[in-house]
Amino acid sequence: MESIISTFHIDWKIIVAQAINFIIVFVVLYIFALKPLNKLMAERSDKISKGLDDAKKNDAMLKATKAEYEDMLSKARLEANKIFQEGKKEGEAKKSEMIEKGKVELANMAENNKKALQAEKVKIVEEARKEMASLAVLAAEKVMADNNKPAKQGK
Amino acid sequence: MKEKISHETTLFAEPVSHYGNFTVTNALLSSWLAVLVIIVLALMLKKKLREVPNILQNIFEIILEGALDLCDQVTNSRALSMKVFPIAISVFFFVLINNWLGLLPIGGLGLLERGKEGMAFIPFLRSGTADVNTTIALAVMAVLGANLFGIFSIGIWKLFNKYVNLKALGQIFTKIRQDKTVIIVAPITFFVGLLELIGEFAKVASLSFRLFGNVFAGEVLLASMAAIIAYVLPVPFLFMEILVGVIQALIFSMLLVVYFTISATDHDAHEEHEKHEEERSHHREHIAVS
Repeated sequence: MESIISTFHIDWKIIVAQAINFIIVFVVLYIFALKPLNKLMAERSDKISKGLDDAKKNDAMLKATKAEYEDMLSKARLEANKIFQEGKKEGEAKKSEMIEKGKVELANMAENNKKALQAEKVKIVEEARKEMASLAVLAAEKVMADNNKPAKQGK
Repeated sequence: MKEKISHETTLFAEPVSHYGNFTVTNALLSSWLAVLVIIVLALMLKKKLREVPNILQNIFEIILEGALDLCDQVTNSRALSMKVFPIAISVFFFVLINNWLGLLPIGGLGLLERGKEGMAFIPFLRSGTADVNTTIALAVMAVLGANLFGIFSIGIWKLFNKYVNLKALGQIFTKIRQDKTVIIVAPITFFVGLLELIGEFAKVASLSFRLFGNVFAGEVLLASMAAIIAYVLPVPFLFMEILVGVIQALIFSMLLVVYFTISATDHDAHEEHEKHEEERSHHREHIAVS
């Protein structure tokens, strides 16, 4: 033991000094590096895990919203299609109804026109007849007047 | 005629100055420098600690996370790692900086002192760990620290029984009726405990002389290479020594973690757990067979 101590110059004072050196290193590293760094890393890790959780939640929410949106969109599409079909049917019905109505109206108008024409025709014929009669009377009167004129001249 | 100056790498750290009874050796100077470097680095880190890390913080974080993972592999428990880790990482940095300081070219600065065999050159810097006083201090603290940690973790009685196994001796009287073999097993267990106690001293010796031997051998190697072809030949060995410095620091701190983990493990509880597991597996086998 003595030889080891003298060969390696083992000195308890230097051992104590080196122990104090290590204790200083430990305290300084613990207070100024390890503790704050661990705290910071734990906080960051918490933030990251919270961020990941939030991202997951947001993703789920986004998916749900997208699904809802798709659902609503398909419902709206169906509704729109239904409305469109109904509108189309209604339009078609209205169109055919209007055509039918138009046809009836046209027929009525044609009938009325025909009747009016007929009445006009009858009226014109009647008037023509009356005109002819008056013309005939006038012609007869003129002829008779002409026939009476030489007799007077002869006199 | 010019006097020859001897420059030998001695087994011990050379004294640089004396303050009364206290001798300041070059290894102690290196250690003080190492402490200063670590304090400066720690303060710089603390000052520039940001949520978004800078280069220094990044390096520290990478080292810290890697070291903590390594610690977990030994302890198998993050809670235990968090307790041991500050001591282990402090040892790692202290040993590492001490190892590397011996490689600095300012080791070429020193004193000329007249000794018994003429003028001798005494460098100002010598790896702190190339002095057995430093490694003994670290090893003693590691082993004492491990045992103190054991006391806080499993209790003083259990730790005492690990070395002076009175419990095993007591079993001779309590279990003799159930198991006759206890009369042979208990004294053996008691002596194993005493061996464990001797093992604690062996741990101090192995820890301190391993580190000292490796770093001192590195210094001798560099000096020898420089003696063959100065400036050129030591260069590849310098790189090797940088690596050796890291490896030795890692080995020392890993062994410290191992010792702390062993001390914090309750062997009785562990054995009982294993016994229960064995019984359970037997029971399962029995059920499977029936």
